[in-house]
Amino acid sequence: MIDTLLSGQLLFSALVTGSLYALVALGLNLVYGTMRMLNVAHGDLVMLGAYGAFWAFSLAGVSPLLAAPLVAAAGAAVGIGLYRGLFRGMLAKVTPSTAGKLEGNSLLLFFGLSILMQNIVALAFTPNNRAYAYLGEVYRIGNVSMTANRLLVLCVAGGVCVAVALFLSRHVAGLAMRAVIERREAASIVGVDVDRVQRLSFAVGFGTAALAGVLMSMLEQFSPFSGFPFTIAGFIVIILGGLGNVTGGLLAALLLGVIETYGVALTSANLRSVLLYGSFVVALLVFPNGLLARRLVTR
Amino acid sequence: MKLMATRRRSVVASIAAAALAWGSGLAYAQADKPLRIGFSMARTGMLANATPSQLNTYELWREQVNARGGMDVGGTKRKVEFVIYDDQSKPEQAVRIYEKLITDDKVDLLLAPWGTPFHIAIAPVLEKYKFPVVGNTAASVALRQVKPGYIWFTTSAIPDRIGTELTAMLKQQNVKSVAVLSNVLPFTKEIKNFVEPELKKAGIDIKVSTEYPPDIKDMTAALTQVKQANVDAVLALAYPGDSVLYAKQAKELGLNNPFQFVAIGPSDAFFPKAVGAASADGVVTIAHWSPRPEWKGSQAFYDSYVKKFGEDPDYLNSALAWMSLEILETAVAKNGLDKEKIRATIASDTFETINGKVKFEGVQNVVTPTAFVQYQKGKLQIVWPASIATGKFEPKKGW
Amino acid sequence: MARPGALWVGLALAGVAAVALLPLLGNEYLVGTGLTVLMWLALTPSWCVLSRLTGYVSLGHVVFYGLGAYLVVTTWQQWPLWLAIPAAGLLAAAFAGLVGGPALRVRGPYFVILTFGLAELVKFSIMAAESAMGMAARILFGAPDLLAVYWMMAALALASLLLLAWVSGSRFGHGLRSLRENEEAAETLGVPVTRYKLIAFVLSAAIPGMVGAVMALRSTYFVVGQVFDPMVSVTVIAMALLGGGDGVRGPILGVLFLALLSELLWAQAPLLYMILLGAILVVFVLLLPDGLIGLLQRWRRKGTAS
Repeated sequence: MIDTLLSGQLLFSALVTGSLYALVALGLNLVYGTMRMLNVAHGDLVMLGAYGAFWAFSLAGVSPLLAAPLVAAAGAAVGIGLYRGLFRGMLAKVTPSTAGKLEGNSLLLFFGLSILMQNIVALAFTPNNRAYAYLGEVYRIGNVSMTANRLLVLCVAGGVCVAVALFLSRHVAGLAMRAVIERREAASIVGVDVDRVQRLSFAVGFGTAALAGVLMSMLEQFSPFSGFPFTIAGFIVIILGGLGNVTGGLLAALLLGVIETYGVALTSANLRSVLLYGSFVVALLVFPNGLLARRLVTR
Repeated sequence: MKLMATRRRSVVASIAAAALAWGSGLAYAQADKPLRIGFSMARTGMLANATPSQLNTYELWREQVNARGGMDVGGTKRKVEFVIYDDQSKPEQAVRIYEKLITDDKVDLLLAPWGTPFHIAIAPVLEKYKFPVVGNTAASVALRQVKPGYIWFTTSAIPDRIGTELTAMLKQQNVKSVAVLSNVLPFTKEIKNFVEPELKKAGIDIKVSTEYPPDIKDMTAALTQVKQANVDAVLALAYPGDSVLYAKQAKELGLNNPFQFVAIGPSDAFFPKAVGAASADGVVTIAHWSPRPEWKGSQAFYDSYVKKFGEDPDYLNSALAWMSLEILETAVAKNGLDKEKIRATIASDTFETINGKVKFEGVQNVVTPTAFVQYQKGKLQIVWPASIATGKFEPKKGW
Repeated sequence: MARPGALWVGLALAGVAAVALLPLLGNEYLVGTGLTVLMWLALTPSWCVLSRLTGYVSLGHVVFYGLGAYLVVTTWQQWPLWLAIPAAGLLAAAFAGLVGGPALRVRGPYFVILTFGLAELVKFSIMAAESAMGMAARILFGAPDLLAVYWMMAALALASLLLLAWVSGSRFGHGLRSLRENEEAAETLGVPVTRYKLIAFVLSAAIPGMVGAVMALRSTYFVVGQVFDPMVSVTVIAMALLGGGDGVRGPILGVLFLALLSELLWAQAPLLYMILLGAILVVFVLLLPDGLIGLLQRWRRKGTAS
């Protein structure tokens, strides 16, 4: 038992799982943080990204590594388009008193978009499961076995998360985004172009979701309706880490990865979901604003 | 005088002509009226990715039947038309759909939906309206409690039989120790409930016995435990989703046990695509069909499915769906659309299908043996029981 | 709060008559449709007692539904239904009472996802417990027929609507609204905020528990994962939001609109209906941010203005 716990194998799995959760949650956090909208269609964007990679690989033999930036860019473009077409108008009309209604309506709106995405894809591509085998070789380092595609997911997802975190803390545009996340009105007063920040957060939010989909498609099978579990995972992570808190999200994602692996190792696979949701509920009851609580000003 | 006679003759002639036209028109219209067959199928929701193998089979059958001029309804051929609704992966919705099909759409015949919960949910509706349906993709010991009457279950993959047969097969392969991993969903949980006592009776050591919830994303902890146990056989009682997860993580951790059983998933053409042909080879799974020369039509069914859909049929679900259609066809050809006569035929006759003979006692098919297949060089071969085997079990050589 | 006008009273009576007379049409399919509508009419107003009036949006209300169903399934053929169904409501209410205290300290979107997590936690706990007991799935043989289920649901729908109407117009309801606007301010004004929230939470749980119990009789095959379906929670929210408003009329409109629309769509456009549903939702939110009640108010204003 002890040697299992100390082995690198569990650590590797926890990191792979955690990094993918982190990437999925990242975009969700940015969209919520800047616009206070709960994108319940986020997991479906991941699904679309997976289909993008799948078709690129099956029809054109394009490796997911090459497809990744293209699919991510496409995702970002969709995000910008959706922002310009739909949400900019909605957000412009918001006043402090109607902010609550915006949250409710955005929930419904994204829910409608989610239904549309799932079912249009089901109609176009059939509801069949899709999967492909890519980079399935297993490498051993010490006593840790790593499937190549899982290692790749860890590196790419982890790398992108770190990059975005650095962007938010170093780059001017990133700092502007953080300003909008923390205090929207104050940010616009000091000259931040809020519209541009919102557009950027939609782009990064949707783009990272699509990228997560490409990575996911290497690891598991998916169908038009497999987005929902990713949406759930994303929400659990961002709430646990504190809304709008990107670092918190990364830590929460890793924590979930750890529970999924080490928690099961210490107890039993039967309790896997009970542990995950149980930890979430208990954590939130003890820390009502997330683990790294930093209360966001509600409008 | 002559004029009157002529007119009378022409009147009689025209009446005769009209009567003839009307009579033949009636017969023409009857044969021409399409035969409406209704069913529900999950096209959206969490189960939508499992139903295509059954829906495809239904569609293939309809195409072939219509190409022959239509389904034989007590002597007359009628073209088949489907009335399909989406049950959204919800059994309550399936109940509503079958109620609608029977009372509102008033279809001529019904086919079964996909999955055990759906079969069981609609059984009371069929009972109430005395509408016989040949079930297919349903397997649970609970089926035996369904009042025999208007639904029958074609599969032999019932969990208690799976328990005894799997143990017998393991014994034959001289397996001394096993690890059992099970999804808690009904079918696999039932198998676990039956196989473990059988294993104990046979003196096979169960070194690991673990269950997991259906939304599991990582099996590393459990599989590390299995690897350390160093067993002869691993029984991964998985559903399609986790069957792929199991295969991939078994490969990563190097679970090279020679007997690898994965309950559901590998009978679908999707499995080798998802895990790679090399990994799929050697996996044993539940199915009781394979194209065999002894089974009339089995090769033809296989070939036509591959031709139309570009991939293998699901050796379990597609075969079962086709069998249920063959049984229905036979019963309707014999009795037309008289539901009581159809019911009597299905309940008592022995049928010839692509899986050999089928006969029902109560709700269960008592002829088809409970069997297992194994991937060998990319093709599924029946490896148990010997009576219908198309190949011999080969130990799995890693993933 | 406007008192319901003559039009509304008339509509309400017509609705009651429709519910009472539907079974006489002898069409099982229509009765099934009626049952579906009644089920949502029983769930949504109860949800509104909590989430509309206090602003604490629950995304996990299916947990009460599921608990109620589980109680019926586990006491099947041991407890008579007239005991099991109210017990289901009590169980749900008791659970709400137990978790409500700590849970309601969590606010805003945190509360939303907390309730979701809670529902999933209960779901997976029951799943683990069932499997530890060796249970695979549970089947209810000998369940009452559709008509009996229909009448039970009609009673629950009536109860739910009356509950919302009563709470909405009462001093308790006004207290809830005040804490929705500003919880701290309400507290300083003497509103017993913590107690009120908890009472609302418990009240909102009881009827959904009984609804779950009754619906278990309809589908007769109990698989934990399918009964604790998150889509139930989401649909309730969608219906309430589509209806809009603060009182009883909103949920009624929202339920009728979405339930009947879905019925029409799945029966008439089997291939496209989900796509149509999604499109209608999107268009609806964009055009009618205040829901159907908002639309009615706009018409009325236009009417009086001219």
